[in-house]
Amino acid sequence: MEVTFGRIEQPSARYRLAMIVFAAMALAGLSATLVAAKEGLALTGMTNRVPWGLQIVMAVYYIGLSAGSLVISGLYGVFGKSDYKPFARIAVYVAMVFLIAGLLSILTDQGRMDRVFVEPFVYFNLRSMFSINPSLYLERRRTTKVVATLAFGWAFCVHSGTGAIFGFGSRVLYESPLLPASFVAAAMASGCAFMILLIVGLFRATRRPLDADLVVWLGRFLAVCILVVVYFLFMENAYRVYVVELRSAAMFYLFGGFHSVLFWFGLVLVGLLVPMFLLFWRRTGRDLRWILVASALVVFGVLCERYVIVLPGLLHPQEILPGMEIVKSPVEEGVVAYGGSIVEVLQALGVFGVVALLFLFGLRTFKLLPSEARSTRAAP
Amino acid sequence: MERREFLKAAAGTAAAAACGVYALRVLTAKGMEGLGGEEPPAGRRWGMLVDLAKCREGCTVCLDACRSENNVAFFGDPRIDIHWIRKVAVRKQVGGRTEEKEVLLLCNHCDEPPCAQVCPVQATYKRHDGIVIVDQHRCIGCRYCMIACPYSARYFNFRDHEDWPNREHARRSHGVAESCNLCAHRLDRGRKPACVEACEALGPAALAVGDLNDPGDPVAKAVATRSVKRLKEDLGTRPKVYYEGL
Repeated sequence: MEVTFGRIEQPSARYRLAMIVFAAMALAGLSATLVAAKEGLALTGMTNRVPWGLQIVMAVYYIGLSAGSLVISGLYGVFGKSDYKPFARIAVYVAMVFLIAGLLSILTDQGRMDRVFVEPFVYFNLRSMFSINPSLYLERRRTTKVVATLAFGWAFCVHSGTGAIFGFGSRVLYESPLLPASFVAAAMASGCAFMILLIVGLFRATRRPLDADLVVWLGRFLAVCILVVVYFLFMENAYRVYVVELRSAAMFYLFGGFHSVLFWFGLVLVGLLVPMFLLFWRRTGRDLRWILVASALVVFGVLCERYVIVLPGLLHPQEILPGMEIVKSPVEEGVVAYGGSIVEVLQALGVFGVVALLFLFGLRTFKLLPSEARSTRAAP
Repeated sequence: MERREFLKAAAGTAAAAACGVYALRVLTAKGMEGLGGEEPPAGRRWGMLVDLAKCREGCTVCLDACRSENNVAFFGDPRIDIHWIRKVAVRKQVGGRTEEKEVLLLCNHCDEPPCAQVCPVQATYKRHDGIVIVDQHRCIGCRYCMIACPYSARYFNFRDHEDWPNREHARRSHGVAESCNLCAHRLDRGRKPACVEACEALGPAALAVGDLNDPGDPVAKAVATRSVKRLKEDLGTRPKVYYEGL
């Protein structure tokens, strides 16, 4: 069976409407970014104690989705599963678009956006994870098996590098050699889940035949990714709770405020355990609708995971004077709070609008859509 | 064996041997020396001594001097105010009773500054005389240095500010990070930092700067002979701000 790829020739009314909605979002984000660039980041919810906020959460989320989407293209390109060839192109394009989203999120978060296009290249600092990391973003494409394998490995490095920005930090809740690895695992889960939603959605919207078996298999793959994430999460937290030095920080992480709610309910329950149950249980694991539900939950759960990677480590105080309690200070001491401002929310929506536009544009411009996707295995 | 294969094998063996020798050298070298790490500092190496016993309770003369010398932004909002040097009141349990005192906190001008290590554009760097400083024209405002600093000594210009007490110096625009630079501009001209000068003028002289590489320097002497502490020494950042009476 030879798969042919095509583009959307005649944009439907829905397509046009989506374009308008996303363009409006992008415009809102752009104006919020311009205002922030003029007035300063005081307009965000960030402070001297919490210098990273929603945009960084979104950046690592997108970069994770990018790496994860590439995995779907790797199923054919690297592992030679020819059943998944129809999804390979779209997966690579989505990976690219998400990468742009990640970089755009970081860009709009800089204090001096105007300098980002010159300084990092002229004054490259080999000792900084922030430099090492984006340099990994520069090139990755898919043509042959060799290149696909390289791209696959590259994506792995990219994402480990992003994890390393946090894992190799100096905050108690950041320091963890395990973080780059668990970061990759969560990325694969989110990317896989997102691609399931996207593939099914696209095939339905454009009325293309799609074999449910393929999605069921992707669902199983997703289930395994979730298992790995659960394992890493457990080890990391068990370690922190066990080591006396880290215990109070671990308690803050697990039971210390809004982020703990996101951790337990958003990530552990809704994002991991429920989808795992849905995917592993025979009855729901073979039902396309339930697989879609599980995928949506994972996409949401990993967003929560990104939040609890970035924020709790900053909200938790550094012990500048060990053994002493700071009772009065001109700056914020102790546990602090963070709440994203309207500017940050608009920026986040704007970045999403831009990438959605790019995606829709790609569907019309490039031949990304396969004619059909059928399983070559005999139906059970 | 053909000649080509022999040459290949020979080249491979030679390369492997070279890697092995290099690896052995690196692994057996003490610390980072084998990796071409930094030379031990020669020449001047500025350090600061804070004698907390002399520091007067409630006094803010050093803080004020710093603020007006360096045009440090103050908005009255503890979330975004900038403090190159700040005073905190601490409580500590000593032998069953509670002791309260005030501590001055500022950039520690580490010999191994994590802020400089993480800066993606080398806007933060350590000068040859040990001062850790930010190039305000290069900083892109990514705030990674603030994440990396274990002393919370880094601040970000969240917005522009109107005050401009010292017209000899520029103000910072919003969007860049900053911290104490030990008044490098003054030290370079043979003057003491504004905070040190203000404290001396008042009388107590709780603050002092000096060349830690000069055995005759009073600060270097105090560091060598008196009971001084540095903050979070276990991190290996090797701060150059020393505390007496902490």
